[in-house]
Amino acid sequence: MTAIAARPRLRVGIVKMASCDGCQLTLLDLEDELLALGDRFDILEFPEASSLRSSGPFDVLLVEGSISTPEQAAEIIELRTKARTLVTIGACASYGGIQALRNWSDHDVFRAAVYAHPEYIESLSTATPVSDHVKVDAELHGCPISPDQLRELLVSVAVGRRPQIREEAVCLECKRRGTVCVMVAQGIPCLGPVTQGGCGALCPTYGRGCYGCFGPREQANTGSLSRTFAATGRGDLGVSRLFAGFTGWAPPFREVIDERGGPPGMTPVAAGEGGGDGRH
Amino acid sequence: MVTDERLPYAPYPGPTGTSVAAAPVALGTPGGSGPWFLARANLGILIDLLREDDRTVIGPTVIDGAIAYAEIDSADDLPAGIGDDQSPGQYRLVRRSDDRVFDYAVGAQSPKRWTFPPVVPLNVGRREGRAVTFEPAAIDSPKLAFIGVRACELAALGIQDRVFLGGPYTDEDYRSRRRSALIVAVNCTSAASTCFCTSMGTGPEVRGGYDIVLTELDEGFVVKAGSPEGADIVARLPVRGADASQMFRAAESVGKVAATMGDPVPTAGLHDRLLAQFDSPEWANVAERCLSCANCTMVCPTCFCSSVNQTSDLDAEVSTSERVWDFCFTAGFAKVAGGSFRNRIRDRYRQWLTHKFATWVDQFGTFGCVGCGRCIAWCPVGIDIRQELLAVAPPLVVRPEPVRPQPVAATPGSYATARIVSVRSETHDVTTLTIGDVDPAFLAGQFGQFAMVAVPAFPPVPISISRFGRDTIDLTIRAAGPATAAIASLGPRDEIGLRGPLGTSWPIERAMGHDVVIATGGIGLAPLRPLIDGLIAQRDRFESIRIYYGARTPADQLYREELRGWAGRGDTEVRLIVDREGPGWTGPVGVVTQLFDSATWDGSRALAFVCGPERMMEATADALLDRGLSSDRIFVTLERHMECGIGLCGHCQTGRLFVCRDGPVFSLAQLGDVFGREGM
Repeated sequence: MTAIAARPRLRVGIVKMASCDGCQLTLLDLEDELLALGDRFDILEFPEASSLRSSGPFDVLLVEGSISTPEQAAEIIELRTKARTLVTIGACASYGGIQALRNWSDHDVFRAAVYAHPEYIESLSTATPVSDHVKVDAELHGCPISPDQLRELLVSVAVGRRPQIREEAVCLECKRRGTVCVMVAQGIPCLGPVTQGGCGALCPTYGRGCYGCFGPREQANTGSLSRTFAATGRGDLGVSRLFAGFTGWAPPFREVIDERGGPPGMTPVAAGEGGGDGRH
Repeated sequence: MVTDERLPYAPYPGPTGTSVAAAPVALGTPGGSGPWFLARANLGILIDLLREDDRTVIGPTVIDGAIAYAEIDSADDLPAGIGDDQSPGQYRLVRRSDDRVFDYAVGAQSPKRWTFPPVVPLNVGRREGRAVTFEPAAIDSPKLAFIGVRACELAALGIQDRVFLGGPYTDEDYRSRRRSALIVAVNCTSAASTCFCTSMGTGPEVRGGYDIVLTELDEGFVVKAGSPEGADIVARLPVRGADASQMFRAAESVGKVAATMGDPVPTAGLHDRLLAQFDSPEWANVAERCLSCANCTMVCPTCFCSSVNQTSDLDAEVSTSERVWDFCFTAGFAKVAGGSFRNRIRDRYRQWLTHKFATWVDQFGTFGCVGCGRCIAWCPVGIDIRQELLAVAPPLVVRPEPVRPQPVAATPGSYATARIVSVRSETHDVTTLTIGDVDPAFLAGQFGQFAMVAVPAFPPVPISISRFGRDTIDLTIRAAGPATAAIASLGPRDEIGLRGPLGTSWPIERAMGHDVVIATGGIGLAPLRPLIDGLIAQRDRFESIRIYYGARTPADQLYREELRGWAGRGDTEVRLIVDREGPGWTGPVGVVTQLFDSATWDGSRALAFVCGPERMMEATADALLDRGLSSDRIFVTLERHMECGIGLCGHCQTGRLFVCRDGPVFSLAQLGDVFGREGM
């Protein structure tokens, strides 16, 4: 077993696509462990911490952000060849992120409406998860990702085991910490029952409904939950708005959005509809 | 507070189940153990006394729009003037016009949170070179006092006592928490629409397992002690004897609560009914709605499943393990390399419901449900477990009287008299007597049970009940000896003596949703006739029904008109065979098993009920086994010499069984190698 301690330092890179950098900053949140991590890993590329760039290869490559431009689409294929293990970090890399809402719209119309010279803007008409482009070995979810899960991922790579990340609804985190269900007790719509836990039930604990930033959990029965939302007087747009967040492009959420006529802002808003879920 | 010797105690399932020292229940006259009266203004003194005793006091308080248990400092933290309105998927606080503190149903979570916490450290593992150590976490349980604990919650603690402390391996963390906890219980004076403790037999009145119990009145509380520790605390409270009005009002308010709930979950036969429904289409139906989010299990006061979480350092030298609440609704719970054994939501819901109401009984001797209704209120999509039980495994309602009183005149010396209403000749030696003025116990008897029938000067004989009418029963009798001949010769208005109903019955609940095969010969059709009545009364609850009946000659067939009626329904197959032809007979000739030879059905989804001469039953059982029926799904009824009918005289012993008491209906599996063995 002494072989474990004698393992070579692992080569780690962090790269970003279309993203806000919040997920890679989570690595700096592991304050107490940074020195130990530095002993174990060679951080070859980490844009938020260093201007160094690396051409690889990487034992572990953490990818942040969605694929939103032609360059990114080419770059991710190149990066994949240099990475032994490729891990997406965050809602953008794993599900397309908030920018994936444009996938429902006419990209050219938006571009022309926003930019004086849209011809200078080179972007894809869609923002898509990394897994649409290359094979992904693991995903860390969340907006941003959980420091505990990032730590567990790095430890599991260092130790050579599977990361122990529980597959369960946000509800389990609410109940374990004793948070009273905001949906049942206050009528606040909450995606917790269909959303993968990992955040520690942050939003419900502060009296808000979960907006699904960790993405759908396995067996996410979004059909049933959306029918329950609709039964409390929300129109199609009100229901689709609830699912059309950071992970709206994830298939179980996307199905609800499609069934209800697309996300708000992508279709003409009928009078008296579209507002009023009371969360944002 | 519960001492080690008294664990596990079990107030569940009924009023006789308590092992707590002081007699609970029944608000009687004032005396040494109460009841006393505590003025509302003095309730705070009780909480102060508990705190002075270095206890962490856990009581109801308002948190985030709900009443929930939490650590409280004084009576000011209690939800004065606040009630609750609960329905499937919804919980709302309600402002009341009074200042009562316990006039709500049940809160968001039960005391389980403190006796079986969501996260408990287990051990720290270390590796140094080649050596490894595992250091168990120290048990660090606070000294607790609970106030406001309801009857259903006490029943749930009793159930978890059995789970964690009732077997050969015990949970020491639980024991430590439980041992130190002092319980101030409260009798419910209001119920939510989600409550069903009356069905589960756990409330609303507290029956045991408490140290002190309170019943709230407008002016204060009726107080009783249930343990020496409780009595000691009450002795330090400013109480006086409760007066008659207070005791009456306390009892009345609890009684009214019970009346509001009714019996939404009929539990009779529920274990068998549910286990017969593994293939019910209702599982897929509920899975359309179920989110598999585990909220029902988390708020359940009896669910006890857990998983171990482990974290380690970067060098794999130190790892910390903790036990966390986990549930059969999560993806990882039934997972092995390669996938989950319960991958679909329908699988997980079935696992949960059948555990709560069936397999829990096999494991721990009680239901795993106390009727608190939390799983209904706190389900985000409002799935009502009461409705799902009715949909998956509805009770069979075949007779108006659902209760089953004790048999009348069970002891061999005493007979209840009944009067013959009418007599009908079935064959040259078989007669059916319809008997009225019978004790209600007979009307509530079960299909396959028998009565001991007597007329003076003749030995009593066991006769199967061949029909349950609205206010009569039928006895079909073959005049095979002097006693049966004497009974068969009676006429209308003659009286006879009856003891019963006795013995076991055909398990009709297990047949729901299955194919049914009935194979019988001669007078063996008589004990099966009530079963056939029951099957036909709720025909849509069963798949195919096939009746195979053999008689010596066409003239020896019983109930010929009824046989034609059943066959004429179109949804029930009736096939007849005779040993010897008779006038006008065009059907097959031979033994009853020959009817199986030409049949093409597959028996893997069938239950069979067989009654006839033992040789015929043996041959039939072999034929059924060949058709794919398992031995626990083939039921036979044995005939033996029976005198007492209650397992005390020894005549009917067959191997380890007394046929009168353990039978006469048995499964083949139950009989084992006794069945068909010569000389038994």
